Amino acid sequence: MFFFLLPVLAAVLRFANDSDLIRRLKQREPQAMADLYDRYGRLAYAVIYRIVRNAAAAEDLVQESFLRIWNRVQGFDEQKGALGPWVLTVARNRAIDYLRSLEGRLTQNAVALEKLESPGLFMDLESEILNIDRVRVLREAFEKLNPNQRIVIELAYYEGLSQSEMAERMKQPLGTVKTWVRSALKVLRDELGEAISV
Amino acid sequence: MSCEELRDLYELYALGALEAEETAELDAHVARNCPTCVPGLKRALATNAVIASFVPDVEPPSRLRRKVLAGVGTGLSPRWGWMGAWATATAALLAGVLWFGIEDRRTASELAATRQQVAMTQMDLARVQQALQFLDEPETKQVGFGAGQPQPPRGNVFVNPNSGVLLIASNLPPAPAGKIYEMWIIPKSGAPKPAGLFQSQQNGSAFHLVPGPIDTSVTAAVAVSIEPEAGSATPTKIVIPPVAVGGM
Repeated sequence: MFFFLLPVLAAVLRFANDSDLIRRLKQREPQAMADLYDRYGRLAYAVIYRIVRNAAAAEDLVQESFLRIWNRVQGFDEQKGALGPWVLTVARNRAIDYLRSLEGRLTQNAVALEKLESPGLFMDLESEILNIDRVRVLREAFEKLNPNQRIVIELAYYEGLSQSEMAERMKQPLGTVKTWVRSALKVLRDELGEAISV
Repeated sequence: MSCEELRDLYELYALGALEAEETAELDAHVARNCPTCVPGLKRALATNAVIASFVPDVEPPSRLRRKVLAGVGTGLSPRWGWMGAWATATAALLAGVLWFGIEDRRTASELAATRQQVAMTQMDLARVQQALQFLDEPETKQVGFGAGQPQPPRGNVFVNPNSGVLLIASNLPPAPAGKIYEMWIIPKSGAPKPAGLFQSQQNGSAFHLVPGPIDTSVTAAVAVSIEPEAGSATPTKIVIPPVAVGGM
């Protein structure tokens, strides 16, 4: 059921860079916001919908995400900033915050998510990763994960669970869950590392 | 913990999915701009963004584009197809040729300034329309602040459980370069929640709308602070003290 979004992602990644769009957003050009939505709206909606699984909530969260981008773009560097990862991170985090609030899991992690979407963090990201060939490598690596590895990765990425929360949800010892998480991330890292070093 | 030990945690840290102790360990490395951990974290942010997008494609409803643009107060122009776009572009080109032929005394900078002014006017108009719609809703309740005091900011906060919070203020000078105003929604218990960044006009007027439902039963107040232009996770310097909206 996954990866149907790849063509959309590929289309986005074909944009050489977003620097002109960022500059226009910072200058508050109304059309720039429309262009931002046209470029990333579908991706953001799909990511949010996967997490919250509720169309009405997903619409509100997309709005909230783009409002946040609009309000914080002044701190974004148009030369060094990676707009796509920032938009996707903000969208994913808004959905995770929503899920946590529904489940009464609002903890210090909410502050952590805010901190981890600061525009300054999205400067000088490795451009090799943001390339459609590398995305395919990551996708293939994702497919290589065994069922337990895949479950823990999905719980981390799409539900925002910590490893102790995963252990509780899966009724497994914390040590076992940590092993699954680390081995899964190692598979993804190793495959990506090999692809980049080729 | 050493950088080598933290290496396995970069992705979970970037996802906000680490336990508090591990988060604190990595926070310390990030705070001192650790030459190993910061690049590792940036790589994890890029990887995470890609992995997060490994989801089924879902078409958003067409109304969402309008809602997003209205939410930030920009124009509500519909998305045209390629034919429309070409027709518009052609018409614009012809108009441009005629315009420059007749009005050749006008400089490019004057034209750009006019275009910018039109865009700003459209943006302001959209914001005003949005605010009027918000104010017109029967569930919207109002509370004033700063009345009778000439110097501090004064105005009103409007709260609608279904539509959000609207701040209309005056006497709020534009935030200086590198700074911006940030609204906070203060729950009855717990820390203030960031509710968006905004700038005021040259004449000191400002309005800021936070769209979306708000649970008024757990909300105590709304406040505004001045922050670095990227915003903050906690208020730094309050410029509009908490305006009580509980029980509205």
